[in-house]
Amino acid sequence: MAFPSGSLGYWLRRRLGMSEVRREKFVLAMKRLNEILDAVIHHRMGGIGLGILSFFVTLAIIAPFLPIPAPQYSFTDGQGRYLATVDPSWEHPFGTDQNGRDILSRVIWGSRISLVVGLMASVIAAVLGTLVGLISGYWGGWRDEVLMRVNDILLSLPWLALLIVLAQILGGTLSLNVIILTIGLTSWNFTARVVRAQVLSVRERVFVERAKASGASSLSILRKHIFPNVFPLVFANTILTVAVAILSESTLAFLGKVDITNLSWGVVLEDAFGSSAAINGHWAWIIMPGLALVFVILGFSLLGYALDEILNPKLRER
Amino acid sequence: MTPTALIEVDHLKTYFDTRSGTVRAVDDVSWKLEKGESLGLAGESGCGKTTTALSIIRLLPKNGRVIGGHIQYAGKDLATLKESDLRKIRWKHIAIVFQGAMNALNPVKRVSWQIAEAITIHDVVASDEAETRVDELLELVGINPKRKDDYPHEFSGGMRQRVMIAMALACRPKIIIADEPVTALDVMIQAQILELLQRLREELDLSMILISHDLSVIAETCDKVAIMYGGKIAEYGPAEEVFLEPQHPYTQGLIRSFPDIYGPRDLPPWIPGQPPNLLEPPAGCRFHPRCPQAFADCQVRDPPLFETGKDHVAACLLRAPHT
Amino acid sequence: MSEIQRVILRRLRNAMITIFGIITLNFFLINVMGNPLDLISRAPNVSPDIRKNTCIRLGLCDQDGNALDLLTRFVNYIQNFFTGNMGTSFNWKDTPVVDVIIPALGWTLLLIGTSTVITIIIGMVLGAISAQQRGKPFDIAATGFSLFFYGMPFFWLALMMQLGFTKQEFGLNWWPVFPSGQQYDFTIPVFNWGNIDHVMNALYHIVLPAATLSLGTVAGVSLVMRNSLIDAMTEDYVVTARAKGLPERLILRRHVLPNGLPPMVTLIALDMAFIFGGAYQVEYVFSYRGIGWVTIEAINAFDFPVLQFVVVLGGIAVVVANFVADLILLKIDPRIKVA
Repeated sequence: MAFPSGSLGYWLRRRLGMSEVRREKFVLAMKRLNEILDAVIHHRMGGIGLGILSFFVTLAIIAPFLPIPAPQYSFTDGQGRYLATVDPSWEHPFGTDQNGRDILSRVIWGSRISLVVGLMASVIAAVLGTLVGLISGYWGGWRDEVLMRVNDILLSLPWLALLIVLAQILGGTLSLNVIILTIGLTSWNFTARVVRAQVLSVRERVFVERAKASGASSLSILRKHIFPNVFPLVFANTILTVAVAILSESTLAFLGKVDITNLSWGVVLEDAFGSSAAINGHWAWIIMPGLALVFVILGFSLLGYALDEILNPKLRER
Repeated sequence: MTPTALIEVDHLKTYFDTRSGTVRAVDDVSWKLEKGESLGLAGESGCGKTTTALSIIRLLPKNGRVIGGHIQYAGKDLATLKESDLRKIRWKHIAIVFQGAMNALNPVKRVSWQIAEAITIHDVVASDEAETRVDELLELVGINPKRKDDYPHEFSGGMRQRVMIAMALACRPKIIIADEPVTALDVMIQAQILELLQRLREELDLSMILISHDLSVIAETCDKVAIMYGGKIAEYGPAEEVFLEPQHPYTQGLIRSFPDIYGPRDLPPWIPGQPPNLLEPPAGCRFHPRCPQAFADCQVRDPPLFETGKDHVAACLLRAPHT
Repeated sequence: MSEIQRVILRRLRNAMITIFGIITLNFFLINVMGNPLDLISRAPNVSPDIRKNTCIRLGLCDQDGNALDLLTRFVNYIQNFFTGNMGTSFNWKDTPVVDVIIPALGWTLLLIGTSTVITIIIGMVLGAISAQQRGKPFDIAATGFSLFFYGMPFFWLALMMQLGFTKQEFGLNWWPVFPSGQQYDFTIPVFNWGNIDHVMNALYHIVLPAATLSLGTVAGVSLVMRNSLIDAMTEDYVVTARAKGLPERLILRRHVLPNGLPPMVTLIALDMAFIFGGAYQVEYVFSYRGIGWVTIEAINAFDFPVLQFVVVLGGIAVVVANFVADLILLKIDPRIKVA
């Protein structure tokens, strides 16, 4: 049980001073979350995804406590030169980069930025996408047309190029906040489409008509009827968006448009490319950060796919 | 010795392998269909009536298998026949009309193409001859042949059902299986389709197996009826007899739950409880948990079909011959 | 006017609006984010005359050397756009933007074309077999493989290909080796098919980039194909077809595939943007002188005219691809009537 529904939950609710009705809803919500968690773990793909992600998140969190050298520390040989591009050995399991820094350490530390950027950017994208989708789907009309055209335009532009341009203009590299913001602002398209479709289908359902007939305001309909039907979908979709966001950040880093003090997997790979690691055969330098990226993206994809199946009853029949 | 029936199902058992275990969907079912007759398979959802019919032409989903029994037709046992031989029997001898023909027709192919396909699979026929046959068939079921190049979604529910019937008749089969042919339609259309089926039966000398959970449909159209429950046959006999003098408590319960148009304006009694779990059916008689007339022995002995009249049998210990 | 025609016209109208939006947005994004004149001014030791001439040449000033304001520049931009005048590149001195981009476009189209063809063929076949063998070892292996490669960063895949195939690995002398880039003379136009040496050399240089692009996209195609076919396979009309006595092979061909294909068309159209993004990365890693490479060079050199044109081109390509996909869908799926 990961979500507090038993006595811990009760204590929480007392502390938060919730009214009786709210407490009921809280209990139900926690129970549902636990159900979903169980379903995910038992779903073959979801379980694997969750496992992979737990591993990487844990790694990211405990990085400072691991017995590994600091990621920016440059090892030197006896004569004061960088111990550069050494092959994997006991001391440096993944070898060292062009400045003598230990690659294993950089990969472990890099997970922090990669994950954080991915998560925060996708939250922005999710919020924006949901808002747009809700407005577009619920009110329709000209708002819908306008938003959809904007969506089309943004979807079609090679935003990666624009991002890079932005980076260049801002002085060559982007800071962390700017990156998170821009990735978030350009990834909301898909979520908006999905939310819009869902809102359109929910809007036509009988209970919404009934709510309107009994005089409920638009806002309350949105809150009580439409949002609960849309939220699970958004959640599953957001997980997939995280994968995309992580991918985007690593691509930007690889192309050198990121402030390299924000160590991410893309930065490590950028170093590798810049030092012609592929041509010189430094395989660990290339393979390891890349595998980390691939597995994290895989984890999110599997989790998102599993959640989608679990939360979308139509798909379950397959 | 009675002449052999057109098709005879003998102790058929069809099970499904699922993640939770083996579902005994059809558990020892036997009935006969004579030439020109119509047999109704009735029962609640999940009692095994559709599975029985699908087992005859082996249209079961991947996890279903016929694990026992025989299906005698034209001197062959369809249960053990090779797939390639069975394919020749499908449609040409035994055709099936599915329920909810919404999805039973391919949405991206024209109706004429689909009917013609049925013809050309089994007979080598020139395309214009096939066209003429398609026209004839459509007229037979009351559809304007000019619409033959339309797509399924361009027809209404009732007309789609007629198209399915036309398609089923394409190879002039001997037996038609109609699986809930009118369930998804409104009452007026129901009457039309049933009338159509009746007329076709007479004109083309068809034998029919009609599956429905709606007893009124069966009562109207069938000569014989087999009431199924929990994968087994509860009662089997001539339709009139079974409906007017039901011998099995389940049948009695079903009939009683029909409101009588002349009777008192009360809610008719219904049968309490749920249909049995076919993964682990109850011991003894499958109906005993819901039966108002159950007694001790019912929990232990699974009753075979006892004779209660001429060609009328019921699987109830109450009907056991008193010795 | 028939229903279909009306729908097509509406889609066309939307496409036009989108394209115009792209053109406009493109100008503002690139020019508002930084005044090109400022950037040029940063260069030291530039005499006012040269500065003035450059300013005029680049369309940032009028005849007298006064800086033009944004709105005037925009109007000029639109006028120039529709007369085909894209300006002159900052970076590649005095070469019209169009001449910089069109040859590069040719190379990129060659790359994308080859890999898309490979991807579609392999992806669809893989997906179809997976669907048929659902649950069996082949399916599990193929789906696992697809999931692994799905969403894999193109640049990393490119690096891996370079790592593995540019040298003889493990001392095996039959290990295939391909060039990592750079050495090829990309100024020879791509359509110079007469010279056989040139063609062979070109192909030799395309293998790794194309393989990378294909590997990255085949996963998505195969997964969607598989799901789409499985959806179709579980439909009732397949049971009807089997009941008619059709053998499995024909059921697949006549009933499952025609229903499973429409989602694929949508997917491939949507993938176009994705493939372009991937092409940029692949070209960068392999120094393959296509549009992607040109773009990145242009960015590094603040070459705004080139950038403007590239971005617009990319956007228009995506819109056109989607429009064409819509048209194809309208033709092959009789169920689609109104948007």
